[in-house]
Amino acid sequence: MTTIALVGQPNCGKSTLFNQIAGYKSLAANFPGATVTYTKGTTYIDNELVEVIDLPGTYSLSWYDDAEKETVKALFSMDIDVIVNIIDASMLIRSIELTLELMSLERPMVVALNMMDEAKKKGIYIDVEKLEEILGIKVVPIIAKKGKGIKELLQNIKDAKKPRKRCVYSQKVEERIKELSECVDKSIKGEHWPSKLLAIKAIEGFKPCEELVGRTDCSPILKIAKGELEDGMVIINQRHALCMNIFEQSSKVKKPKKRSAESYIDDLLMHPIVGYVFMFLIFIGIFYAVFTGGAPIENLVMGLFDDIDGYLATIIHNRLAFSIVKGTVDGVGAAMGIALPYLLPFLFIISLLEDVGYLPRIAYLMDSTMHRMGVHGTSVIPFVAGYGCSVPAIMAIRILKSKKEKYISAFLASLVPCSARTTVIMGLVGYFLGYMYVIGLYAFNLLIIMISGMILKKMLPGISPEMIIDIPPYRLPTIKTLLLKTWHKVKDFVYLAIPMLIIGSIVLTLISYYQLNGYINNIFKPVLSGFLGLPAALGVVLIFGILKKELTLIMLYQALGLSSISMVSSAMSPTQMLTFTVFVIFYIPCVATIAAINKELGAKGGLFVTLGTTVLALILAFLTKLFAPLFI
Amino acid sequence: MKLLDAETEKTYRVVSIEGGCQSKDRLIKLGILPGVLIILKRKAPLRGPFMVNLNGSDIVIGRGIASKIEVEEIL
Ligand SMILES: Nc1nc2c(ncn2[C@@H]2O[C@H](COP(=O)(O)OP(=O)(O)OP(=O)(O)O)[C@@H](O)[C@H]2O)c(=O)[nH]1
Ligand SMILES: [Mg+2]
Repeated sequence: MTTIALVGQPNCGKSTLFNQIAGYKSLAANFPGATVTYTKGTTYIDNELVEVIDLPGTYSLSWYDDAEKETVKALFSMDIDVIVNIIDASMLIRSIELTLELMSLERPMVVALNMMDEAKKKGIYIDVEKLEEILGIKVVPIIAKKGKGIKELLQNIKDAKKPRKRCVYSQKVEERIKELSECVDKSIKGEHWPSKLLAIKAIEGFKPCEELVGRTDCSPILKIAKGELEDGMVIINQRHALCMNIFEQSSKVKKPKKRSAESYIDDLLMHPIVGYVFMFLIFIGIFYAVFTGGAPIENLVMGLFDDIDGYLATIIHNRLAFSIVKGTVDGVGAAMGIALPYLLPFLFIISLLEDVGYLPRIAYLMDSTMHRMGVHGTSVIPFVAGYGCSVPAIMAIRILKSKKEKYISAFLASLVPCSARTTVIMGLVGYFLGYMYVIGLYAFNLLIIMISGMILKKMLPGISPEMIIDIPPYRLPTIKTLLLKTWHKVKDFVYLAIPMLIIGSIVLTLISYYQLNGYINNIFKPVLSGFLGLPAALGVVLIFGILKKELTLIMLYQALGLSSISMVSSAMSPTQMLTFTVFVIFYIPCVATIAAINKELGAKGGLFVTLGTTVLALILAFLTKLFAPLFI
Repeated sequence: MKLLDAETEKTYRVVSIEGGCQSKDRLIKLGILPGVLIILKRKAPLRGPFMVNLNGSDIVIGRGIASKIEVEEIL
């Protein structure tokens, strides 16, 4: 099967294109670094099945962070037949630098000139044929978001040819590169880097290449080249000039006279005072909308399932069979009625937030606050994503540079209540105690995250380089992509959580049917009842919650032996509800999150977060038990 | 002068980027290299980062990095 790889700089629209041709599988979002791992899919070109790979964005083949490294690794190690280089047409100069590097890989290649709509809006007119002629590669203009030009692109992918041209520097530079690459050719075997590119990167001081060459006899040649070419600055300047030249030959720019509407929006949203007010209002608004939308539905569906339970009791007479059927029905009912009304709108709004391009602006606003926690503004992106789900939030630490930053961000991101924990906050505390308590809990959570960050900053060694991020323009997602994205995020809940929920309900039913509650509860009693003052029956719920946090709220009332969730208020006092919710917000992340942490930081990191969060949850829940009565 | 001491809404030419700056590499890839013109757009409060505009697109950089970029004002 032919394999094609989508390669391009961050935020140029690779995942959007991928989703258009291979079905919605890769999360696209309007900030650089949205994709941090590869995604495979398939599509048909003229009835022939081809494999498509979406890769993380990279500015060049000399990676800066782990997400970029992933792409280079994939390019070198996977069997890729055609490279599709996606270019943001409104940023031609910068993008061509990567194109020139990809050309040196000498593989069949096509350029997809994306964002043609935005280039036009910015007054940039590109002569596609001219560009094609200069680069010696087929260039196809597309608008990935609207699906325009994709058919033609696929046709050209099929007929892709190796680039006809090479990037050529001045004679002096070429001589130095040639000398080094010839030496490299002789002494380094089996490397993936083409020797000319390896030589260039080594001279420019890209560490992995420099070390590779430094270990061989070519080291003196490298030293001379570096000396003569000002540590590679000469090459960099020449290449930049070349890219400028290509841009000037192929494009015309008509500067719009008016300031764009976007820069006026930025004046407000990035304003030193008003910007923070807006940020605050936006988040309060989001939580309020989700809560006021979700609570009436929770109410409605719960009443409905009470009726169904009553009906079941009249038709099933075997006690065990009834218990199991009721457990299953209640479980599914709770999933649909309690979790989904909060989950769906919440995930929808988070998706919207990611797509409009607000997150990098929050990164700008929050950078100085984040410094106090030993991280930079960029870490805001995993944090906000964490309100949706912790797993992508943890994976997003790949765009961070230093180990210290990664550790702190992973720990703090796992403390951000994901949408599953949001169902507990809203469906339990909000529903029974009121909206002000919801806001209170979120504020408390932020405070704890800040304090934990400040402590971790002191504890962990090392420094982190500051942030550099390019701010994308504001963009409006299409309703279709927004819905697909929300579905993509909620899919897991439907396919994973609901079956687990049914199993959980049955387990709970069997436990109470065979009257095992006593034994099991004894295990949890010392900590739950003794220390936190909670019903010991909640132990089972918390264990299931580690498997999947969505189960927590839904299994709660069953574990308490209640027939419906509306009765929880008779079994738990407000203080107990708050204590339980605080514990749920902070304790051990779900297994999927732990797995993600293990992958990004190693088993040590996973253990660090698991232990740390458990201790933190115990302390905070204990404090809640002590002090909550003052607020109720 | 350093970019750190620059004023908003003014245009500057990048003169040099201090070596040893860990982020030099990323700056160059984003197109901030000696010779290019940038406009300082805004500064975040409380020693927050700077936003500069380069060829019509915005880039945010931390103050520490701004202190390592030598610029000259274009009048
Ligand atoms: N106006 C416009 N927007 C587009 C187009 N293609 C993609 N976008 C938007 O650009 C943003 C980035 O798209 P992605 O597909 O996530 O970009 P990516 O290249 O995968 O980004 P990374 O994974 O971060 O490297 C999204 O908000 C898209 O909706 C286009 O042709 N026109
Ligand atoms: Mg992507």
